[in-house]
Amino acid sequence: MSDQISAGDINPTIGAMLRSARDFLAHEHSLFRSLELKPILIGKGKATFSMALPDTFASADGSVHGGLYTIIIDSIFGLTVFTALEEIKPIATINLRTDFVGAIAPGARAICSAECEAIKGDIAYVSGRLTTEIEGRLLATGAGAFMVGTKGPIRGMRL
Amino acid sequence: MTAHLERINEYASRAALARWLGFTASGGEDVVFRLAFNETHIGNPAIRALHGGVIAAFLELAMQADLYARTGAGISTANISIDYLSSSRPEDMAGRVRLLRQGRRLAFMEASGWQADETRLVAVARACFTLG
Repeated sequence: MSDQISAGDINPTIGAMLRSARDFLAHEHSLFRSLELKPILIGKGKATFSMALPDTFASADGSVHGGLYTIIIDSIFGLTVFTALEEIKPIATINLRTDFVGAIAPGARAICSAECEAIKGDIAYVSGRLTTEIEGRLLATGAGAFMVGTKGPIRGMRL
Repeated sequence: MTAHLERINEYASRAALARWLGFTASGGEDVVFRLAFNETHIGNPAIRALHGGVIAAFLELAMQADLYARTGAGISTANISIDYLSSSRPEDMAGRVRLLRQGRRLAFMEASGWQADETRLVAVARACFTLG
């Protein structure tokens, strides 16, 4: 993952934060550990991760619940905002829309790709998509706005 | 327990996500949904707030369960939009849902979530569902 994080024009301070966050997420954060997050591409304002879709998150019909789609999208979108910053600032999701396009059974893996479209003032705009890892079939699209520089403590990423 | 609440519980019992969320429902005509806080619901451990996606998942499941209880139909979420109005704490979350409009094939609902004080909402969500 270090290669992906150092790629592009990410601010070095942000890159260092992402590397420490990566280690924490992979080993110590129970939610993200269960999702087995793996980076595919991280550049300035862009991020692509693959992840597991555990049966813990199944819906009443047995497929992966849309709530997990939103958990993934919110997480990867937030990380994408960090890659676009020039200095570490706390961020928070203002709002998020998820369109559910496809269903998938638990056990498969998915890929979430996100792009920070713009940062205007204190608001970062992010869009992206969730696809199946094997066929690239579209599962969901998302669009969100994030507050950059919240009043909260600066203690790293909000994932 | 009302028949409506029984159907909500029946729907939730079939969703593994409900167990992960610690999802319950109570009340009579006015159902209150609850997320039982668990450390796995934390997003950023430094801030110790609930993950925004977890809040969205809780509110979406509450809307689905309520809509199922009303219609008995297969429920599929077309889309959801959520606004985060204030910060959350590492505590239980409560929620209420409202049916805005139910047609033959679509239903529109909204949900609100709060923690200690219902007048200080943490998030509101609106979603469109297809009825199968």
